[in-house]
Amino acid sequence: MQDMNLTSLFIELMARLGLNYEFLATGYEAQIWRDGFLTTLYLVAVTIPVSLIVGLIFAACLTSNRPWLSAPVRGFVELTRNTPTLVQLMFSFLVLNTVVSNMVGGAQNNPLSPFFWVVAVVGLHVAALHAEAIRGGIEAVPSSMIEAARGMGFSPFEIMRYVQIPLAFRSSLPAIVNGLISLVKSTTVGNAIAVSEITYASIMVWTQRDNVVELMIVLLAFFSLINFVVARVGSWVERRLAIPGYGL
Amino acid sequence: MSAKLTAKIVFGLALSITALSGTQASADSTLERIKGRGKLTVGLILSGAPFGFIDPKTQEQKGYNVDIAKALAADLGVELESVTVTPPNRVQFLQQGKVDILIANMQYTEERAKVLDYVPTPYDRAGGAAVVRKDSGLKDWADLKGKPVCISQGSNYAQPLAEEYGAIVKGLPSQPESLLALQGGNCVAAVHVGATVGLLLQDRADEWKDFAIPFPNELIPSDSVIWLRKGEADTQKALDESVKKLHASGKLLELAKANRLLNTKYLEEENKKLSAK
Repeated sequence: MQDMNLTSLFIELMARLGLNYEFLATGYEAQIWRDGFLTTLYLVAVTIPVSLIVGLIFAACLTSNRPWLSAPVRGFVELTRNTPTLVQLMFSFLVLNTVVSNMVGGAQNNPLSPFFWVVAVVGLHVAALHAEAIRGGIEAVPSSMIEAARGMGFSPFEIMRYVQIPLAFRSSLPAIVNGLISLVKSTTVGNAIAVSEITYASIMVWTQRDNVVELMIVLLAFFSLINFVVARVGSWVERRLAIPGYGL
Repeated sequence: MSAKLTAKIVFGLALSITALSGTQASADSTLERIKGRGKLTVGLILSGAPFGFIDPKTQEQKGYNVDIAKALAADLGVELESVTVTPPNRVQFLQQGKVDILIANMQYTEERAKVLDYVPTPYDRAGGAAVVRKDSGLKDWADLKGKPVCISQGSNYAQPLAEEYGAIVKGLPSQPESLLALQGGNCVAAVHVGATVGLLLQDRADEWKDFAIPFPNELIPSDSVIWLRKGEADTQKALDESVKKLHASGKLLELAKANRLLNTKYLEEENKKLSAK
């Protein structure tokens, strides 16, 4: 009851400003809109770790001396970096997903949801950007340091694990945070394949209610807030990991 | 950052928003302006035959909505200027004065009538039809309960499908994507304006041979009306007379048949009713 009163008070106040938030008092539209916020946050929370882990693996492959590891990843990075995320998503959902459905004998057996495709496409797209950033960081590690590690008997994997990645991660962190911010914004492409994130929910409401301005204000504020948090966490990690005197 | 500054910023924002939304309440000079310019600017949606599409051969805009716009302009004695709009931008185009009226597949709803004015006499009545796989065994709207149903993001079928029939609604950007999702098995049904999908199944029978429109009724048949800015009584009156004239003379029915609208029952009734007067 308390909640209802707050909602109607808000609608009333906004109406005085000339803003139409009446849909909040309805059942279906208010529901998909509220769920939209949660879905966006969930999407961001799942896609960020996916992009980071895959980005790291990609970077390791890219800098490897074995062509059978680096060549396919190089090809994928070029493809995903150079094509629009929206096109990739539409292609994945409308073409790849259909192919998968046919292979497993019908759509009812296909476990891949639109949500999965958004995580996969956006996650891998941003992973490609991360990989390039980390590769730059790995290549920036002084060769004398790697030689020293080799001299101490480190295997190539150990050099990667204990020397190159820790240093590369620090120097590529600003670029990675930029990548994560664009990841948050990219999750909105989900609306094209009916993943009920917040832009999708807003489109569903404003095509019926024609209150585009009202919902746009909320959308902008919401994404600003998420990315403000992402940027803050990023600079906090940067400070935490800084090596005094090393300049990173 | 002091509290005073924050208050100032908030106040400034609020003020600019009020100013923005206040623009719609201007005196009705639209009809005079239309006649003065000699041009009626109409916002049209070109989302597919039979309502509005671009002819691939001649690059011309065609369809029932386009023809109505032409007929209205002719009746007002002015030229037609058409502007293509989409569901998310159509109302903004109207309110910002980029177009005078909208003939954009917009059915009458109470919510819309709060924001916009409309021409009381509808130019069509349209409801939703569900395209489903022939072997799906779906017989009526109630069978869609708990199943994924594709629609296009501008349509007003989401709410009745979700609330009345308990379907899981998936809104794709437009009809082609929705139908592709249906073919790919991502939804069990695609619900769109009856006339559009009916024509599609006829015209591309080969590609759609596994699909049908089996439900006996259309979903929420509602009146398609012309929308205009609030408070433009003169324009509203002039257009209402024009639409009535087009009904009475049988011109609308003729246009509907020429554009192959499958269900012209409503138009025939209106024609009889208005031509009897």
